[in-house]
Amino acid sequence: MRLSLATLISHGRVARRIGLGPKSRIDMLRNILTGLVRFERIETTRGRADEVQFYAEKLIDYAKKGDTDEKAMKMATFWLTEKDLVPKLFKVLAPRYQDHQKAYTRMARIPNRTNLDRAEMAVLEYKGHPFPPLFHPKRDNDLTLLNQLLKGYREERARQTAAKSD
Amino acid sequence: MMAFKSVCRVFYRRLVSSAAEARIPAAELRRLRSAVFSREQERQRALVTRTEKIEVTMQCPGLQGSLLVMNKGVSTPHSCARHLTEWHVDSSALALVDGEPWPMHRPLTQSCSLTLLTFKDQDPVLVNQAYWRSCAALLGQVLENAFKEEFTIELLRSPELPVTSGSFCCDLVLDPRLDAWTPSEEALRSLTRDAQQLIHQNLPWEPLEVLPPVALEAFTHSRCKQEEVEEMVAESPSGTVTLYRCGDHVLLSGGPLWPEQGSLIALAATGSPRNLGEAEEESRKAGGATPSR
Repeated sequence: MRLSLATLISHGRVARRIGLGPKSRIDMLRNILTGLVRFERIETTRGRADEVQFYAEKLIDYAKKGDTDEKAMKMATFWLTEKDLVPKLFKVLAPRYQDHQKAYTRMARIPNRTNLDRAEMAVLEYKGHPFPPLFHPKRDNDLTLLNQLLKGYREERARQTAAKSD
Repeated sequence: MMAFKSVCRVFYRRLVSSAAEARIPAAELRRLRSAVFSREQERQRALVTRTEKIEVTMQCPGLQGSLLVMNKGVSTPHSCARHLTEWHVDSSALALVDGEPWPMHRPLTQSCSLTLLTFKDQDPVLVNQAYWRSCAALLGQVLENAFKEEFTIELLRSPELPVTSGSFCCDLVLDPRLDAWTPSEEALRSLTRDAQQLIHQNLPWEPLEVLPPVALEAFTHSRCKQEEVEEMVAESPSGTVTLYRCGDHVLLSGGPLWPEQGSLIALAATGSPRNLGEAEEESRKAGGATPSR
């Protein structure tokens, strides 16, 4: 549950209604979260990705307490429906985020689904995975013509200010 | 037929010698130079009688080792780019043939490896230089046409300024009657507008590699140009010079120019003349420009 102004005036409706009821909602979130822990990058509808992101962050917070912690183990066994992922959570993901305080996941919007419902889609991923990046870092080349012109301008400005201060 | 040709030549020479004193109008001069250029171009094209094939290996990213079979002496890097995609045609500004800078419209002479250079490469230094050179050439062309017929203008070899200096320039010898003239703001604006109109026409720069006698013939009326030709011949290892023609303006260039003028955008003449030489009255025009690609 996120505490915000929107939550305060939402008359108790704190989350999207997903699935057929509260139990169905939790099952759906568990399944998606299990998939996220297994594959580390998943594609789902935007609303579901947004809901799961909170639980994915929380799960890592628990996992960082270590596998001897009773609450942490309880949470892991509840949220991961496939039990072979419990060791992965404690041995792989928790050490990976030792230095991070928060924001272990990243959500990116992708084009709408092309089938009949045209649902808004998103990609949800754990940071630090081995896949190619979603966004390529922008190349900044100093040698392009405009950058060279700007460089010349900066040098001239520096020369002028130096001459003025003398 | 031969007799007719020789008569023509004699008549032409006489015209030249008499006209040297009588000061040929600029339009006539341009026409003569352009005629020499066309004649030489046709002669060189006629030399290619049989179509021979050459193999061109592409070295662009994503095309490593692609092999194009082109025509010797006819195909240019531009026609190679047309075999690829529209993006290659639009964005490539210069070619590297076996590591040598090569204008886009100059025919290939042998099997080679070809790299098409664009503005957004990792290392666009060569392209930037070519762009700056082309801008200076365009400015020279504008200046030559800008003055009234009664004044003579001679373009000198334009010095190559680095891109970081923020401006390119071209030197010219002005008519003695224009000694006291300094360009006003309106004059500069009108020069800029001329340049924009020229850019809008999107004329190509046609390169042509010629032997020194032809270049000397093209620049019969200009002593400065002839000296420049001799300098360039001494510098070049092959003993030839490259002439460029744009519209009817024929010029010499120290290095490859861009394929066409339409890609030069936002060019502005911002120059102040400075008296550089003592013997000659030289003016220097500066300008700034940004590319569209």
